[in-house]
Amino acid sequence: MTSRIVTKKDFSRFVAGLAKQAELWAPMKLKDADGSRFGRVKDAREVCFDYLNTKLPVKELFFPQRELLFTFKTGTRESVQPPQPVAERIVLGVRPCDAAALLLFDRVFMAEPLPADRQPLSAKEDRKSEIVDCRSFVDPYYQQRREKTTLVGLACNEPGPACFCTALAGSPHGSAGLDLLLVDIDERYLAVPTTDKGEKLVTGLPEAKKADEEKAKQLAEAAGKTMKFALDMAGLKSRLDQGFESDAWDELALPCVNCGVCTYVCPTCHCFDVTDEEHKGKGARLRTWDSCQFALFTRHASGHNPRPTGKDRMRQRTLHKFRYFPEAHAGLGHDPDRRHVGSCPAPLMLCVGCGRCIVECPAGIDLRETLCTLEERIKDAVQTAECKVQKAK
Amino acid sequence: MQSAKGKVTTQEQIRARAKELLEQKLVTAVLGFREGSLPGTVVPTLVTKPEQSDSLVYDERCLHNLAAYLPRLKHKGKLAVIASGPTSRSIVNLIKENQVKRENLYIIGVAGPEFHHKDTKAPSVRNRSRGTPNPVLCDEMVGDKAAEPAEDDYADIAAFEKLSPEERWQELTEDLSRCIRCYACRQSCPNCYCPTCFVDSSQPQWVGRTTDDSDTIMFHIMRAMHMAGRCVECGACARACPMGIDLMRLNRKVALIVRDRFGHVSGMSLDTPLPLACFQTDDKQEFIR
Repeated sequence: MTSRIVTKKDFSRFVAGLAKQAELWAPMKLKDADGSRFGRVKDAREVCFDYLNTKLPVKELFFPQRELLFTFKTGTRESVQPPQPVAERIVLGVRPCDAAALLLFDRVFMAEPLPADRQPLSAKEDRKSEIVDCRSFVDPYYQQRREKTTLVGLACNEPGPACFCTALAGSPHGSAGLDLLLVDIDERYLAVPTTDKGEKLVTGLPEAKKADEEKAKQLAEAAGKTMKFALDMAGLKSRLDQGFESDAWDELALPCVNCGVCTYVCPTCHCFDVTDEEHKGKGARLRTWDSCQFALFTRHASGHNPRPTGKDRMRQRTLHKFRYFPEAHAGLGHDPDRRHVGSCPAPLMLCVGCGRCIVECPAGIDLRETLCTLEERIKDAVQTAECKVQKAK
Repeated sequence: MQSAKGKVTTQEQIRARAKELLEQKLVTAVLGFREGSLPGTVVPTLVTKPEQSDSLVYDERCLHNLAAYLPRLKHKGKLAVIASGPTSRSIVNLIKENQVKRENLYIIGVAGPEFHHKDTKAPSVRNRSRGTPNPVLCDEMVGDKAAEPAEDDYADIAAFEKLSPEERWQELTEDLSRCIRCYACRQSCPNCYCPTCFVDSSQPQWVGRTTDDSDTIMFHIMRAMHMAGRCVECGACARACPMGIDLMRLNRKVALIVRDRFGHVSGMSLDTPLPLACFQTDDKQEFIR
């Protein structure tokens, strides 16, 4: 596909053009507060490209914090009404990390049914079609939004001090999950389409010159080099397998206040709660974000809570991202049509390195530090244990 | 105050005292701050070994209210805690509300972190009470005391009250509608130690769980009510808020009402009763008709 050029002078016209084709969403400055958030654009001037990462990731446009599943009238089954269908949308200014996170979301919310050869052997022949695996569930609300949305990315030329996408197979100029990627090259944007949907948005614009593409390549390299954090993820996963009881968790969890900031600003956290609200015979079933950091998250109806302390919950979040998720999704093949993460080397972590949890943590906890400490401490503990075994022999 | 030549800095004194207290086994741990990974950040930390004392830092960044950690560190034995004015006031309240025992604490008092700024003499931290830079309760004071500021005039609240009811409502709803219900405000607050918060109750469900304005405003107003006579205006909630909500507007208004009606300023003394937890015959009762 041919890369094209949008000059900054013409950028508002380009944006206005997009707004004519579909609902346009883009980062907009928060009123009375620092930072930006995705909002519905009515005027091209509202679009704010002066951001490192939006406060909340683009996930809120696909998996909103409050989602109406259906409305009902009590007493009758017929009166259950699904919500209004979603309109066609274009989302502008998605960072590559956020787009990569949507590919992980796809695995959770709309992975295809497992092929026959991966169905559990114990299943009876005639019941095979009925087997529901967590990986075969398609969430219609998510799917509808995903299918009706075109994603236009904005490459990062200056990653921030908390960014570490390169440690998780990402790239500041990565286009995985996007339909079109914009790269800021001085007075112009280089527009690199990756899908037909993306290409349609830039047809008719002047073609990019070789020098433009060269410039973008240089910027990508320079941006990648600013991120120093690197960790052997496969090694980390095997360490975590051994370190559930490590006393490092006590120390790491101490500053954590168990708020939900890290999970709500995370582009890959996807846990939710479902509640019914009913008043005078009319009601609605709502889906809202939930957080593993809250005590209520795992509390059983009996009152028992398998994760009673803050430490348990902090460990859960870390292990879900770097141990359980990679385990659950190990070996699942690359599917080019569904644009799943394909080139990503196993294990597939539930983290894209956007750094939001680091920036927003009220206690200043750094996930990178957490991972390094765990790696070291578990390694030490395992070695000490091995020494003891040898001595005993 | 801090980097005067030839003078031992407050940070160095804290490190030295932490080391001594741990060596002499007077405390089991010291609750303080360590360096964070991002520029301008520090992380609350619990130092248990004398040789770790040098990891402690104290400067203008150390704005967290460490009292918030004390109720859940009860099982750790006697703790030393670094406490500036607002933190010490929170500790006073926690003792009065039977959440921590005085004898289980060794309070190392310091002037507020904003007075340990490297190069300015006019500290200004958004959302923080100007009332008490110095600790009101401590076992020892480390470093110099800060000059007592003029009494808080609540000019920000007075200015807000000059607006019409419609304008006030609009400003409040616009601000609170940004809330994402992450509860960073609640979790960073030393007053919020309830085993089950009213918003987490599911049977009955007092407050809806969505981010609709009606739910978020309900949460914040109910939380502000629970702070009456207890909030020390440390501003920890507002600084913890990822969405930049001006939470202190509600809290300061409530604190002002309590000051005016009960003559009570929260957390100043172990001896004064909590105004909303006791009855006195001279309480104003003109609302009973």
